[in-house]
Amino acid sequence: MSMIKEFTKGIWKENPVLVMLLGMCPTLAVTTNAENGLSMGIATTCVLLGCNIVISLIRNIVPKKIRIPVYIVVIASFVTVVKLLMNAYAPPAINKSLGIFIPLIVVNCIVLGRAEAFASKNGPVSSIMDALGMGLGFALALTALGGAREFLATGSLFQVKIIIPWKVDFMLWTGAPGAFIILGCFLAGMNKLNMRKAVKRGEVYIPPQGLDCRHCRLCDIGKQEEEQ
Amino acid sequence: MKKLKDTENILVLGIFLGICGAVAALVLAFFDDITREPIKKMKMQAVNSALEQVLPAFDNSPGDNVFTKNGVTFYGAKKGGKLVGIAASGCTMKGYSGKIVAMVGLDLDGKVRTVAVVDGKKLSAVLITEQKETPGLGTVVCERKQQKTIVNIFEKPDKNASALPGNKILDQFAGRKPGKAPWKVSKDGGDFDYMTGATISSRAVVSVVYGIAQTFAANRQEIVKQLSKAKK
Repeated sequence: MSMIKEFTKGIWKENPVLVMLLGMCPTLAVTTNAENGLSMGIATTCVLLGCNIVISLIRNIVPKKIRIPVYIVVIASFVTVVKLLMNAYAPPAINKSLGIFIPLIVVNCIVLGRAEAFASKNGPVSSIMDALGMGLGFALALTALGGAREFLATGSLFQVKIIIPWKVDFMLWTGAPGAFIILGCFLAGMNKLNMRKAVKRGEVYIPPQGLDCRHCRLCDIGKQEEEQ
Repeated sequence: MKKLKDTENILVLGIFLGICGAVAALVLAFFDDITREPIKKMKMQAVNSALEQVLPAFDNSPGDNVFTKNGVTFYGAKKGGKLVGIAASGCTMKGYSGKIVAMVGLDLDGKVRTVAVVDGKKLSAVLITEQKETPGLGTVVCERKQQKTIVNIFEKPDKNASALPGNKILDQFAGRKPGKAPWKVSKDGGDFDYMTGATISSRAVVSVVYGIAQTFAANRQEIVKQLSKAKK
């Protein structure tokens, strides 16, 4: 039961993009269309899965003080291996559309975030479920964002024209401003839905604590120790 | 194990990190080694598929019959031992986001090859093989892409259709031969149309194709001689 919970939390309740606001850089840059969003989601899921497994296996022997550099070594190695394998064996069409996103994953803080927040504290099986759930949530959010932008800009989805007479592209949505506007609308919608749900249950909606940037303590590691 | 996790001994930490780096380096070296050949093959395949699209029918392997002059790589296509066409690949850094690489099919007299005539419109043997232009603007200039719509997505692909989808900008080069004056877009006083909103990309494409065609025209005899000589 708890395994299923580890899996489903990434899709809605702790969605990495729409709730935790992690990995904003690739999210905003890559989602110009639905296909790119999906590709980035799949690539990230693969890396996330591998890193979560390795880190949950070595979690008991890594000294606390140097865990972050060790995780980064693991992540960077994984990304490079995935890139090499894709260049060598993936069909050219897939390689062409996915290839440019793979190096971006190194700087995607979802991977490091999950390593630090989950895999370093849990066993391999629940880490796999966590990686799959988070990956799926990331992929869904990116595909939805990309789809919305692509549809508003060109009237097509997954490069297939839905509204045929739409001839001139509306470039606002494929550019950076469009990314921010659409993401803002998505976040507002997400909060509204959660709020309504909470009201129905008779509660007050509080965004999950300890998950978003305001509660991230990654940068305060040195400071905390001084205080102690 | 508990001890290792909480250790503060800087020496132990350093050694641990060093071991991690060494293991990672070994893993990477291993994967680099086993993927090097397949990656080379994949790259060659990409070049070959581009060559097939811009060259007339051939029975040698133009990917191996190569001659480089002034930074432009020429590929010779032969049929029955005779040179029938030349493809050339060159690049420019003048694109909106830097590098644009083009593959151009040339007739032996230096004209840009016409692949086919569809509905009275000539299709030129010009492909952009590498670009990072703005999606929706610069890419419109560079890409040959069949527009899929909700209506034709379920139809079977038309076998008679040309393998090369048309592109308004790229098809302007069909049958052109470089003269004395460099090719320019109409905004700069030339006679090539450009895409509104993607002037820089259009300019870069026109200049890279001109550069290739011009290099061939200026060194025609030498290039033809070199490419005819090869046995492949």
